[in-house]
This record gives sequence, C-alpha cells and structure tokens, in this order.
Amino acid sequence: MYFLGIDIGSLSCDAVLIDESKNVVASSVVPTGVRNLEAIARVTKDVLEQSGISEQDIASTISTGYGRTRVANRDGAVTEITCHAKGIQEAVPGTRILIDIGGQDSKAIHIGENGNVMDFAMNDKCAAGTGRFLEAMARALEVDILDLGELDRGAQSDLVLSSMCTVFAESEVVSLIANGTEQREIARGMNRAIASRTFSLVKRVAREIDGLTISMSGGVALNSGVVRALRESLKTDTIHIPERPDTIGALGAALIARERNA
Amino acid sequence: MEQFKRFHEVAADPATYARQWKERTRGRVVATLCSYAPEEILLAANVLGFRILGTESPIVRADAHLQSYSCTLVRGALEEALAGRLDYVDGVVFPHTCDSIQRLSDIWRMNVKTGFHMDLVLPADLTTRASLDYMTAILETFARELGEKLGCEITREALGAAISTCNQIRRAVMRIHALRNRVPEAMAGTDLHAMVRAGMVMDRKEYLSLVTSLATALESEYPTSQFYGKRIVVAGGLCNMPDLFDVIEQTGSRVVMDDLCTGSRFFQGIVEPDGDLFRAIANRYQSRIVCPAKHSGLRARGEALVQMARESRADGVMFFCLKFCDPFGFDYPYIKQMLDDNQVPSMLFELEDSLAADGQFETRCQAFIEML
Repeated sequence: MYFLGIDIGSLSCDAVLIDESKNVVASSVVPTGVRNLEAIARVTKDVLEQSGISEQDIASTISTGYGRTRVANRDGAVTEITCHAKGIQEAVPGTRILIDIGGQDSKAIHIGENGNVMDFAMNDKCAAGTGRFLEAMARALEVDILDLGELDRGAQSDLVLSSMCTVFAESEVVSLIANGTEQREIARGMNRAIASRTFSLVKRVAREIDGLTISMSGGVALNSGVVRALRESLKTDTIHIPERPDTIGALGAALIARERNA
Repeated sequence: MEQFKRFHEVAADPATYARQWKERTRGRVVATLCSYAPEEILLAANVLGFRILGTESPIVRADAHLQSYSCTLVRGALEEALAGRLDYVDGVVFPHTCDSIQRLSDIWRMNVKTGFHMDLVLPADLTTRASLDYMTAILETFARELGEKLGCEITREALGAAISTCNQIRRAVMRIHALRNRVPEAMAGTDLHAMVRAGMVMDRKEYLSLVTSLATALESEYPTSQFYGKRIVVAGGLCNMPDLFDVIEQTGSRVVMDDLCTGSRFFQGIVEPDGDLFRAIANRYQSRIVCPAKHSGLRARGEALVQMARESRADGVMFFCLKFCDPFGFDYPYIKQMLDDNQVPSMLFELEDSLAADGQFETRCQAFIEML
C-alpha cells in the first residue's frame, strides 16, 4: 500500500510517494506554472513511473499548498502549515522551530514536544524575502538563482538592504550597482534583510528559542547565503536542513494520508 | 436559513431599505457612525437610526481627504457620502469613540451635505463617577438638540417607550446568541451577521417583532445540540465581511460567541429605566464590554474575553481586526498574553473591508483550526 502527498505551491508543484513503513519511494518537483492541473498530472505520473506502481496501489492522497483544492482525486486537503510540521518531524525528528520559506510566503512554525503545531506566523503582507523576491534580486544582479547562495562569500561590509518590498528592493539594488557596490556585498545585504525579517517572524511564535532544534524547509533553504545570515540573526550554530527541503510539505501530506488510512 | 431571509435582504442592501422606509413612513433617517450613538434617543425622536459601515465600492474620492492609513470603516463611510450614495440621510451623528471618527466628523462637515450634523463628545474613561455625570449630561443635551433640529420634543414618555423597545430587542437578540452558543448548528455565522446588521438599520419595532418570533422559533426547533466540531470565539473590532464566517465554518467549526462591535457587543446590556432615563442610558454604556477606544479598567477587556472563551467552551479565539485600527492595536498585546496565560489558543487576522477572503486568509484560518 502506498500514500501520496501533493503540494501545489505558488512556484513549484511537488509530489512524494511513501510506503507503509514511511519510506520515500518516489518524488517529483515541477514548476506549477499557470496550468496547475497539468503540473498535478505531471508529478503524479512521475512518481508512478519512478516507483513502477499503478494508481490503484495508492491507498490515499492528501493535497496541500495553495492549490490543494485543485487535486481532483484527493482524499483530503490539509494546509501546508500542518503538512510542513508533520513532514519535518520525519525528516528532522525533534524539530521545535520550523522556518519555511517558499515561493511567495514565509512561515515560522512552533512545534510542541508532541509534534503538533502550537503556533505559527506567516508574512501576510507581501512576498518580501521569499522565492519570488530572490528571483527578482537574481535578475537585478544578473546571476543565476542557483548561484545566488554563494554570491556573498567574502563580503566585508555591514550593508543591509533597507527596503524589503520586492519592487523597491530591486531599485535599491540597481542604485547600489550604479554606485559601484560589489555584487557580493549587495547579496550579503539582501540575505541579512531576509534574515532579520524571518527573525521577527520566529519571535512572534516563540519568545525563547534557546536550546530548541531549528530546521528549515521550502525552496529557499537551498540558498546557503540566506541560511548563514539566518544562523547569525537567530544566534544559533545549527539550522537543520533536510535532504530535500523543497518536498517537506508533500512528505507531510503523504504521512498524513498514511495516518488517516490506519 | 429561511427564518433569516428578511435579515439577509436588508443586510445586503440597507440603502434600499432606508429609501423604502422613508417613502412608506415619511420619516427621517439619521445616520450614525458607531454603536455609541444612543439608539433609545433616536427612536424616541421617531427617526430611523441607520448605522453606516464603510463601503462595498472602490474607495477613490475619500483618498483626497484621508491618509491611506485610516481604516476602511472611516474611508469607506466618507466615500459613500462623497459619492452621493447617502442621499436618503437627513442627519448624521458622530459619537466620539476613536480619533479617526472624530476627525472624520470634521472632514465630513467641511465636505459633505447630509442634512444636520451632530457630535456626541463622549468620555474616554468610563470607570469614574465624573464620567457618568458627564455622559448623563451630554445625552440630555443631545436629546434636546436633536429635538430642536427635528422640530419636536423628546418626551420622557417617548424615551421610556423607546428604552423598553430597545431592551426587548437586546433580550431577544441575546437569546439568539445564547442559543448559538448552546446549539451552534442552529444558524450559520452569516445568518447571525445578517441579523445583527439588519438590527442597525431596520425600523426597530419591525425588527423587534422579527427577532422575538425568530428567537422563539429557533429555541423550539433546536432544543439540543449534536455539534462536536471546534468552537470558535471571534473577537476584535468591526467586521462586515460575512464571507469570513463561511471560511471558518467550511472547516466544520462554528463561531459560538463573538466580541465584535458588529456582533453581540451592539446588543449587550439592558437600560434599567429608573429615575433619570439619561443616567440609565449612560449606565448601560458604562457597564457593558467596552469598545477598545474606551477604557473600563486596566485589564477589563482581556478579562471579559477570557471569561467569554471559558463560558462558551471555546477551542480558540480568532481576532478580526480592521487594518489601521489603532485602539484595537494598543489593546491586543495584553489581551493576547492573557489568553496565552489561560491556555486559550488565539490568532490575529488583519483585514480590510474591501478585500475578499483570499487564499492566504483561508490557509491561515484553516491551519489555525487544524492546530486546535
């Protein structure tokens, strides 16, 4: 028996297939694009092909993410907050603070000792500091988004971008480039800005974070520069990054499908 | 729900109701800006008290007079007036609750023609004897001046009768609130919202007859509850977005009680008509749960909310706060702390009137309920 979790985010659509023993047997990540039904069909086909099972072998499907109600043959829809908390417990057991920065929102989730969500905060105003923001910054700096994480290596200055509005930050970056500021300093300033914003999100859900296991999920966890800046602002040596931070939501959904089917 | 149909009709289009009422009765409509406008005095003056609640149209004209960080209640009300959509209004009453409403009164007087204009400058600290004396005096002055503007005298008999009508409305509405708490499945959040909204604009005698028979009908139809979902208390300022209740209830939860200006707070408390009727009205304002713009003790609002959550066996509290509502913002941190200390989970949702319940609101709302 197999269990499928599908996470339809704003930027990417992810699927994770697990077996009865919670082993991940297949996973797929594709851009959501404008036709999310196609993305859903695509990731479903991918995991079936990878695992060599047929659709009838899937005992239960749980969808999550913004497009969660778009999955036609779902057995349930659960919010990404609950799914990320569930997924991270499997990937990084003992996580108490989860920072999830995805395509267009960021969240801080405080998880109780029993693994349940105790509190959460979301950036409910705009896409500042999220994947969309990083895409715009990479464009302004003329680098590939995959190279953005290492761009700030060796930066020396205390520069912090003052504006976190994606549009204003982009023009701030353009002005800094015009003034001859080095790319790496700008990248560092940008990462610091994201980190300070995330710091206040974390503080909204937990006043004390000393001694708590902190993990990160979502695509932005793959950006090493942001993670370094976060470690500094949270004054912690370790932020646990699971092997596949971008599929934690889908993994959580698959785990919930398995639990509900028990 | 069928019994709420009339309320939904009125709540969906209060302006049409007011126009038809005028035509039918040849009476006058007096618009009010908040729940501190004394219902009893307006009713005794034989006018239709009509509460304005922002706008459903885009805000374009008001922005020339108000900064964008004013709440949508204030900006929306001014928009309605500037657009000429309040042409049925014969006078406006501005109770001084928050600073924004007070300033709106001045801007209104300079730019809008909606008949006569009255300010009701209320005390802020409602715990003192002096404020009760002051409130009594200004209510009496208000009644006299209102009578002068309308060319009538508000007699003690008329005021006594109006107090009685308003009290009966409050008792019937609170019976329905109590029933919702006991049997949450008896009505949807949107039903109750429509009923409360209609109560702010309808002919009060017509309304009394509707809510009285509704309370009796519902009580006999729903003697016991089979509801086992999550019980939510909604708190905060003003909420004129019925969609929000649907979002909550789609998760299988129910709103069982509220502390909203556009909810139970409007109807709370009874005027005990004994001796000085103006003092009696003032007493009600001083003893009910206050709006965040008023003071009734350092922790009074927090204590009242914790008690409400306990009594209604709430699983969680959702705060709906109008963006840029300063009075609510000042109160929120300590109230949130008190809920935390009492192990009542809560979450804050900042809203703007013109925005529909979007995907992110739904996600946060559902995740909060999943968390409970």
